[in-house]
Amino acid sequence: MGPRHALLLLALLTAHAPAWAQIPDPIKADPKDWLTYSGQYHSQRHSQLRQITAANVGGLAAKWVYHMTGQKDLEATPIVANGVMYISQYNRIDAIDARSGNVIWQFQRQPIATGAQRGTGFWNNKLFVTTSDQHLLALDARNGSVLWDVAVHDGLQLAGQAPLIVKGKLIVSGNLPHGFMQCYEADTGKYLWSWSPIPADDDPQLASWGGQKPDGMPVWVSGSYDPELNLIYYGTGQPEPQWAGEGRQGDNLYSDSIVALDPDTGKLKWWYQNTPHDTHDYDSLEMPVLVDADWQGRPRKLLLQANRNGFYYILDRSNGEFLQATQFVKKADWLKGWDRKGHPIADPAHDPSVLGTTTCPSTAGATNWPSPTYDPALHLFFFVAQEGCGVNLRDSARNYAGTGYLESPEAGKNWQLFTRALDAFTGKKVWDYEQITSHHYGPGLMSTAGGVLFSPEEFGQFTALDSRSGKVLWHFNTGDVITASPISYSVDGKQYVAIISSSNVFAFALPDIGGPAVGDAR
Amino acid sequence: MKALYLIALVAVAAPAAGAQQVDPYSNQPVAIEEGRGLYNGACTACHGINGAAGEIGPGLAIPGRSYARNTDAEVFDAIKHGIPATAMPAQQNNLEDDQIWKITAYVKGLRGTAIDAPSPGDVAHGEALFWGQGECGSCHMIGGRGSIIGPDLSNLAGSRKTASIIAALTTAQHRVYGPGGAQPHNLVPLQTYPVVQVTTSDGKRLRGVLRNEDSFSMQILGLDQQLYLLDRTRLKSISYEPKSLMPSDYDKRLSQVEFNDLLAFLTRLGSPPTLEGPQVKMPGGPDPD
Repeated sequence: MGPRHALLLLALLTAHAPAWAQIPDPIKADPKDWLTYSGQYHSQRHSQLRQITAANVGGLAAKWVYHMTGQKDLEATPIVANGVMYISQYNRIDAIDARSGNVIWQFQRQPIATGAQRGTGFWNNKLFVTTSDQHLLALDARNGSVLWDVAVHDGLQLAGQAPLIVKGKLIVSGNLPHGFMQCYEADTGKYLWSWSPIPADDDPQLASWGGQKPDGMPVWVSGSYDPELNLIYYGTGQPEPQWAGEGRQGDNLYSDSIVALDPDTGKLKWWYQNTPHDTHDYDSLEMPVLVDADWQGRPRKLLLQANRNGFYYILDRSNGEFLQATQFVKKADWLKGWDRKGHPIADPAHDPSVLGTTTCPSTAGATNWPSPTYDPALHLFFFVAQEGCGVNLRDSARNYAGTGYLESPEAGKNWQLFTRALDAFTGKKVWDYEQITSHHYGPGLMSTAGGVLFSPEEFGQFTALDSRSGKVLWHFNTGDVITASPISYSVDGKQYVAIISSSNVFAFALPDIGGPAVGDAR
Repeated sequence: MKALYLIALVAVAAPAAGAQQVDPYSNQPVAIEEGRGLYNGACTACHGINGAAGEIGPGLAIPGRSYARNTDAEVFDAIKHGIPATAMPAQQNNLEDDQIWKITAYVKGLRGTAIDAPSPGDVAHGEALFWGQGECGSCHMIGGRGSIIGPDLSNLAGSRKTASIIAALTTAQHRVYGPGGAQPHNLVPLQTYPVVQVTTSDGKRLRGVLRNEDSFSMQILGLDQQLYLLDRTRLKSISYEPKSLMPSDYDKRLSQVEFNDLLAFLTRLGSPPTLEGPQVKMPGGPDPD
């Protein structure tokens, strides 16, 4: 075959491969795809697909199961682009036909790794892999070929959160030696910038550490992006030493904060600190959800967050202005009150102690990293709330003391999970669904335009609730622990809902109308 | 892949090759206590306290768990050099070898069960108390004898620590409260025996021990020793009793000598846990290689 024939053949093949003709772009947010960790840049996690509705979800049926060999307790959110699903782990991506569950390709860099890896990202037909040997890779979405492979800048180890890719910039982050974020060119792997919650030497916020060297503040969950404001929003974790605050007198910036960065430069535009001077590990890593709405009679660009410290926050995301905080769990006693707008005062009486100090919420949090969701039609904010208190311990009275925390053994203070709906703009509770046997973290949520809220439960039930009322519409026992968040996508006009349960991916859809033709069953 | 993995293991194990293989501090209470302090300072950012699972790292001493690293040298090596392809960092720049051995002794101490050091006492008298005055057999079974309401105790000493056996006999404990960090993610039958009373929609009342439940169903072992599989939508009422059926006053209803004899019997039930689960190869299929 001469080169001219080859070209002709290539042209023919291209013409007959419409799936690859259009490269899905997260900015266009076609609901048939799920291209980022949270589905879309605003992280509302609300699928606009409406084939599955509150009226018909009772007929939802399992379509296929895919087992990711050698894995357990996967926390990844799958990515779906053009009918292909990508499931990730450190060092690995499996590509499967999202209609049938058949594997198409598998990429495995040695060694086989396990751990809390929470997803990959899709950009310009590329997928991205963080490796256990401090590398970052881009794979060709069509066959898993390695397009580029770079050593992580400064030799750091990236943590497991899904990368966020905006304007061709790949944003990743990590925890050690302290929290950091990095940015690379998605098409080439070229390193662009870094940012750390550690205040720079010339930053006046360095004074918020009482003379102690700032430390900790891991960045371990993915973030959100507003293309119009050109800002990315991330949460930062707790200061170190975690349980001993006496050496770091002050607010300890930029710990337990929501930060807004310019994705082109990595420069900090604004910050809001949810928990100043934290001694309870109240990481602000819960997903910041971006919503445009009238708030108290004025159009606003809002940022909504249900925080681990027990408060539901509404901020103006253009400048970080604190608008409102509403307590969403029964008890929050880590704070004495608020000394100025948006600035709580930590109560030292609830600092960890050698004998143990009961504090509400517990260190496991009033909610944690599992994703919340926002229904723009109902103006409801759904998330997993964990009621209960904890006992915080430290090993000794010395500074830098370590140790940990326990569930409170007192009746009524032990842990219970609820799927909770708040009025997104007042923070008032609208309904609660008690996940009877779930007591810790729980999986994330997804709402849909069909009025169905998918709410998996810790010990394997994949449950569908009526978004308006919280009533159970359907459930399916996946047979293993769920520590991931659900997604929805469509292929050939059919809507699917998928969830990872331990090492298995389940996909559900409505039965085909009339089912497969009877005459086919020869 | 296997070859690469072997190379990695050799590379990691090599620096420890000349070092001692047995922990000089095992069974030394003062050093183990120091190890606890060091562990709480260096390890609990990831692992939970008291051997429980933590936010990032697994539990190091959870009953029933099989451990990848069992020998003193393996635990020491994992702490000193870290574990490749995992989040476990090397501590060799933060801790002296001596300190690492103390942490190793502490971790190993967390893992032992009662049968490793059975309590002294009159075992035969303890057994008589178990079936007689103690009335333990009215709920529990040992080797096929007894009742099925409570947990089978045939391997009690192989799976529990002496302290937890004493706690079960003397303190009210209805639920095992969670460690702080992430739970060990295993779908296992309920580890506790809460008492529940339900009334079905047709008015039947049932009291028994809850064996499992979810948001939609319940599995109850009735006090009549029958298993009931129930649908929540068909239940009129559910009430969880605050107290376990297990008496918690054996230190009062028995004399000190009797209590010690009962403990001597209980701490000898079963066999030590095996380090590696046996691999059973079933006949019938083609061999892969």
